[in-house]
Amino acid sequence: MSTTPDKLVERYLKHLEVELDDVPRDRRREIVDEIAGHIAEARAGLEHESEADVRNILEGLGDPADIAEDARERFDVQPPAQAQPFKPGWMEIAALVLLLIGGIVIPFFGWVIGVVLLWASNAWNVRDKIIGTLVVPGGLGLSLFLLLYAASSSGGGGSLGTLCEVDPTSGREFNCSSQASSSTGVGFTDVLGILLLIAVVIAPVLTTAYLGYRLRRRPVAAVA
Amino acid sequence: MVAAGKQDALLAQMRKGTLQYCVLALLVNEERYGFDLVRALAEMDGMVTSEGTIYPLLSRLRRDGLVETTWRESTSGPPRRYYKLTTAGRASLDAFKGEWSRFRDAVDHFVEREAG
Repeated sequence: MSTTPDKLVERYLKHLEVELDDVPRDRRREIVDEIAGHIAEARAGLEHESEADVRNILEGLGDPADIAEDARERFDVQPPAQAQPFKPGWMEIAALVLLLIGGIVIPFFGWVIGVVLLWASNAWNVRDKIIGTLVVPGGLGLSLFLLLYAASSSGGGGSLGTLCEVDPTSGREFNCSSQASSSTGVGFTDVLGILLLIAVVIAPVLTTAYLGYRLRRRPVAAVA
Repeated sequence: MVAAGKQDALLAQMRKGTLQYCVLALLVNEERYGFDLVRALAEMDGMVTSEGTIYPLLSRLRRDGLVETTWRESTSGPPRRYYKLTTAGRASLDAFKGEWSRFRDAVDHFVEREAG
């Protein structure tokens, strides 16, 4: 089955559009429109259009990748960095480690240093950096702080609780639910507190994993 | 092999660098539309390898104010964008002409003597 000329042209223009992705939008439009006009003009000049004719026209125009490369050069757009894959340095590694556990090693400030390194690196885009900063401030340091807080307050009868409570007199651990059932039962706030704690532990780990994954992708191309 | 590749790259760069002046020169006496310009350039062998690369160039020339464009109705299809030389484009072409003939003479002076 052969491809119709219209399909060929459509595919070519689509390919061109994709290749021109990092060229500013107005210029991309202008170039694609002009080339579409060129193709229409050339096709109109044919007596009996065949698939081979259309293929020749497209071949004369050249590979969309070549046209895009020329356009990037003409408009001083940085070429996509795929050619030279970004190699994460010590700063990116340190940022990830400090964001996750910096707040434990040096309470709070370790995490702050991580944030500074995160924003100083150009391995991530602004969206990544915002995620890295806000999910979760303090990293696992916050989780640890909340765990300690929960443990101490639950010992004093607080509700932001862990599963087990410690009998203040004997130091013996016993099951919350059995103990609690004799008084108020497992409160809604207990469940909420546990879920919150789990989220606060998992979220920084996921964020770090996400940032680590983004490290392997190319940085965003910039217009000079 | 490596030397030949380098030479190809150099020629491609020279072609790319001078192409814009060829386009400006084609517009000295008349306004032309893109397809017409490409056809005129293609008449000279070796000037354009991928015709499509004319269009990023035209877009750049327009943004630099060396050419300006107007849409005109065509008798045979959709309207065409015509390119016209501006005063700045004219001045740029004139400046290049002087430089180019000096450069060409200098290169010829050595290359041709060697060949003859």
